[in-house]
Amino acid sequence: MRRVIEGSHAVAEAVRLARVQVTSAYPITPQTHIVEILSEYCEKGALKARFLRMESEHSCLAALIGAQLMGVRTFTATSSQGLAYMHELLHWAAGARLPIVMAEVNRALAPGWNIWTDQTDSLSQRDTGWIQLYCEDGQEVLDSTLLAFRLAETVNLPVMVVLDAFYLSHTYEPVDIPTEEEADRFLPPYAPRFRMDTAEPCSFGALVPPGDYMEMRHDMALAMEDALMQLVEIEGEFTRIFGRRHGPIEAIDCNDAEIILVTSGTITSTARLVVRTLRERGEKIGLLKIRLFRPFPAAILRETIGRAKKVAVIDRNCSFGAGGIFAQELRAALCNLDPRPLIYGYIAGLGGRDVTPEVIEEIYRRTQSTDRPEAEGVWIGLREAL
Amino acid sequence: MSEAAMQNRLFIPRSCLTTEGNKTGSWRFLRPRYEDKTAPCAAGCPAGEDIPKIEMLTAQGFFKEAWETILQENPFPAVCGRVCFHPCEGSCNRGEYDDSVAVHTLERFLSDTAARYDFRPSFARLPSRKERISVVGAGPAGLAAAWFLTLLGYSCDVFEASPEAGGVLRWGIPAYRLPADALRQDLRRFEREGIRIFTRRPMDRQFFAEAAGRYQAVILACGHGRGQSLSIPGEMEVGVIEGLDFLRMIRASEMAVGGGTEAVIVNGAGCGRSMDTLGEGEAAAEGSEFPGKIGEGALSSFDGLTAVIGGGNTAVDVARSVIRLGGKAVICYRRRRQDMPAFADEVRMALEEGVALEELVSPATAGRDGEEIVLSLRQMIVAGMEGSGRARVIPDGDKMKEVRVRRVIRATGAGPEESWMLPAVEGTKVLALSHCRLVSGEGKLVVVYAGDLANATKSVAHAIASGKEAAIALNALLREGSEAVIPRLQACAVGDGPALSMEVCLGGERRLRSRHIVSYTEINTDHFGFAPRITQPRLLVEERVRSFAEIDLKISAGLAMKEAERCFNCGLCNGCDKCWLYCPDVAVIREGEARRIHYDYCKGCGICVVECPRNAMSLGEGEGEG
Amino acid sequence: MDAEITEREYMHSGHVGCPGCGATIAMRFFLKAMGEKTVLVLPACCWSIIAGSYPQSTLKIPVIHAAFETGGATASGVRAALDMLGDTETTVVTWAGDGGTFDIGFQSLSGAVERNEDFLYVCYDNEAYMNTGIQRSSSTPYGAWTTTTPGREWKKMRKKNIVEALVAHRIPYAATASIAFPEDLLRKAEKAKGIKGSRFLHIYASCPTGWRIPSEMSVKIARMAVQTNIFPLYEVEDGLRYTINHKPRGYLVREYFRHQGRFQHLTDRDLDEIQKMVNEDWELLLRKAGERV
Repeated sequence: MRRVIEGSHAVAEAVRLARVQVTSAYPITPQTHIVEILSEYCEKGALKARFLRMESEHSCLAALIGAQLMGVRTFTATSSQGLAYMHELLHWAAGARLPIVMAEVNRALAPGWNIWTDQTDSLSQRDTGWIQLYCEDGQEVLDSTLLAFRLAETVNLPVMVVLDAFYLSHTYEPVDIPTEEEADRFLPPYAPRFRMDTAEPCSFGALVPPGDYMEMRHDMALAMEDALMQLVEIEGEFTRIFGRRHGPIEAIDCNDAEIILVTSGTITSTARLVVRTLRERGEKIGLLKIRLFRPFPAAILRETIGRAKKVAVIDRNCSFGAGGIFAQELRAALCNLDPRPLIYGYIAGLGGRDVTPEVIEEIYRRTQSTDRPEAEGVWIGLREAL
Repeated sequence: MSEAAMQNRLFIPRSCLTTEGNKTGSWRFLRPRYEDKTAPCAAGCPAGEDIPKIEMLTAQGFFKEAWETILQENPFPAVCGRVCFHPCEGSCNRGEYDDSVAVHTLERFLSDTAARYDFRPSFARLPSRKERISVVGAGPAGLAAAWFLTLLGYSCDVFEASPEAGGVLRWGIPAYRLPADALRQDLRRFEREGIRIFTRRPMDRQFFAEAAGRYQAVILACGHGRGQSLSIPGEMEVGVIEGLDFLRMIRASEMAVGGGTEAVIVNGAGCGRSMDTLGEGEAAAEGSEFPGKIGEGALSSFDGLTAVIGGGNTAVDVARSVIRLGGKAVICYRRRRQDMPAFADEVRMALEEGVALEELVSPATAGRDGEEIVLSLRQMIVAGMEGSGRARVIPDGDKMKEVRVRRVIRATGAGPEESWMLPAVEGTKVLALSHCRLVSGEGKLVVVYAGDLANATKSVAHAIASGKEAAIALNALLREGSEAVIPRLQACAVGDGPALSMEVCLGGERRLRSRHIVSYTEINTDHFGFAPRITQPRLLVEERVRSFAEIDLKISAGLAMKEAERCFNCGLCNGCDKCWLYCPDVAVIREGEARRIHYDYCKGCGICVVECPRNAMSLGEGEGEG
Repeated sequence: MDAEITEREYMHSGHVGCPGCGATIAMRFFLKAMGEKTVLVLPACCWSIIAGSYPQSTLKIPVIHAAFETGGATASGVRAALDMLGDTETTVVTWAGDGGTFDIGFQSLSGAVERNEDFLYVCYDNEAYMNTGIQRSSSTPYGAWTTTTPGREWKKMRKKNIVEALVAHRIPYAATASIAFPEDLLRKAEKAKGIKGSRFLHIYASCPTGWRIPSEMSVKIARMAVQTNIFPLYEVEDGLRYTINHKPRGYLVREYFRHQGRFQHLTDRDLDEIQKMVNEDWELLLRKAGERV
């Protein structure tokens, strides 16, 4: 069934279809619509879950860790400060190998207060052991969320489904909503690989001496690596049922492109328009959307854009002192290629600032006109000093 | 698919093994262990009764076992439950907490219960030996010696001059304190254990010559039956009556009607000192032989005032008996009431019953004035204190006092009937022990002087202690020679001694106990709550003065158990399991009644030792047995 | 004696609690009351270590190690999951130290009991961060030395009254208990087990290591805390009905203090001051219980 709904609503629909059993929430703009809708679903019985109205995001994730350990499917949603507050438990959930799914609405971090989109909140959690999927539109949000459960439960790692504040969370788009039967076919009931059980009393998370800790972390690393292949496999099944595929990355006109733009999230949609326009004018431009940030699909990226001359990465985030994070990751992924493209890093759209077609075109032109990158990250669209 | 997914396994911090593989006992530097110790009451009991165990079993409702525990150390529970002056209660640690445990009342309860259900005890005893021992005198010392020697495997013959066994228990102590039935209850067991008691068999020196052929040893325990004279002018003329004789006459009167818990005073009854000449039917007829010449029908018309000279239990017994015979009595004592050797409780009851007390007076002369006797008394004053805590008194100048009475009864101490009964003086063949004296010679009969003949303190409990010491000492002497006597006695000591334990002598479990006497500060009183001591139920004073009926009444099993629960069981594990309860390492193992420390896991924190309410555990260095 | 205390053990020997550890005694008693149908949430505390390191587990029930400040929240999730699985029999217990309860875990605890989550929160209180080496917590009593309140910097603030804080939430059941009063502790645990909604049990658990007391005195000292009214035994139902379970004969606090190394610097004047505080608190409690002061 196709409906025009908000991105937040798309998340909630996926959670309903995933038959989540325990969900927890603490309100933060712009996550609120997701949990409001879920509250209603629980109240109406559309979702048979315990909805825990926690007193903090930290507690939200703690509660899900407890619940998931008991062997139920769980979900939460947060944003920005809330995610930062959860940080400790992001590590905990991943280290415990719990397939928790979270919707994370990208929002800038304070101070000063800013409720608009910015990826720094989720990207600064890149080392916590969570799989991260960045979404472009409402359909992808729904599909990614549903898929996230399947992926998480396959590799026993938590998944963060990331969407831009307002541009996606509060924007109405037509979204194809699967039926419950279809969803059930794709996502069977949760069958935990382990759970806490009074019939088999064990402890979980005790002190682990150096002699074992590293092996456990290695196991986590292997699982994270495996997640890429699992995503591809699971998406194959997803495509068979729903007819849609998003992939870990999406390459548009990259084969013959001399300059490839790299984007994530909603900027991609704007970039699609820019690329189409410039192609029509005969420019050898391509576009690469990164959907899967963790695990970072380095091999696929090398294969897809390794032959381009220049790669321009648009980052709506900043790792202070090292530029944009996607740019960094891409540099690292391509650095051993010979020859390899030049990587141009651009920082744009922080704190919800609009990244317009003009901004993207400016990035393209700047990349085209300079022989070598001017800096690790070039800030685009700054106002002139007052 | 990657390695991890292929194997479909998760390497996660999930722990399912127990911690029992960690032998945390290796952390220990102090080692707790179960170590039963000695209770102060047991050490304070001349008979060395295992009082904490008796009370423990009583509290648990194991009355027969409790009673048997008494019997192991004392063949006279019915007697001692009534007449013992219970020094145990004086040393009871509970006394420092609220009030001492009524050990005495509980002993009486156990003997009552044994009588009621006709308990037949089972004992540890050694196999029979060929040696035969004769015992002269069937009082508490002689009978106790015979009893313990029997347990040690000897066969004993007891010779008694009186028509019935018991000595002072039968003929001295009034029935209101010790009814004949109670005594017989204890005496019956002697016969059951094969001890032969020959009554009406007075001894003389000649006996020794005859005995040498038949017996390996003689226990001489004839007691102190002859009263001491007042040595004042007019004593003979006015006919001062000997208190022991007076009491004996009253007790003999019971025989005419076969005894009973209530003594019946028969008109004209009485007896002379030579009880052996009295047949049961003859008692009444021969009553006129009373040396004090009270005369015909004296006991039925005991009116007027009787002066009783002395301050011991005999004086009080006499005075209270006078009251029961319808007379009035005044005790004349040369010191103060608090100095009287008589039990304080007895004195108190005597005063309640109407006995008057003249303190600080000493008889000077006696003279007759018609029906009355004029007794002049020298007044005394306190002139300091003696080492024993009694007042030292001296005449208060020439001050005198006069009392006019119908008769005078003296109770100023006693000695042996015959001079040959005095124990031999010290010599190479003489072993002077705490409660008896052993005299041995090459190939000759061993003579043991026991009971009052050798005891400094004349009490039933000390008589029993004497009999036990005599038995253990004699056994050591006969089996291992005189050198072994002292070490043997020491090995059987309860605490610091001199109390001895027959159970230890026979190799019972009690031998494993530490000699350390548990003090009050070693009791963890946190585990106890205040509880009032049981009040011994008694006849009302109005009932008491009318007859010789027993004053102390029985108590119920419920009350007895409640009282026994008050006992701290000092130094004795009663299975309260505080050690098990508080162990942080789950290292106290309960195996039925037994407790064991699992040293693989015990870290030696010592909580069990501190929390043990009764100091039945110890904490020490080293790795000895637990 | 103590026939009512089950012989069943839910704790293995061989754990690594310090000799004389009061917290292990508390756990042993507590689980005897709770039985095997119990899931334990264990935020960081001494027990995180005592419970056994991988691959060992000291307890015979499932134990979920949780982040320090998440006692209330993790338990909420566990309960929610059990509800979803239809398991109404199992009791969810959070077992936390004083740091995880009074300090870092207070928000999570407050949130959980405000939601009236159906779980039992137990704080075993050893009055400082013992596992990290005796640092001051808001449970550390007035007058105490710790490694972060050394010398003249001994703690000059009162111990937080955690039970009253919980009572202010109108929690269905809040009670204090002591390792020195096992019958009382077990009774309260059993009672709490039978109540629906949030329950709170505050167990006084001595720490020989941190209190500088001989290990064998561990239980004795805990008992003295009750006997001196420093740690009264009481329970509060629905945030309203107070019952004082033990009325000591009023030992002087001096007795309790003089045995402990952590209080050795206190002067007679300090002790008088503390006695006043204890009397004041006790009278306040008596008033709340509707008893004569």
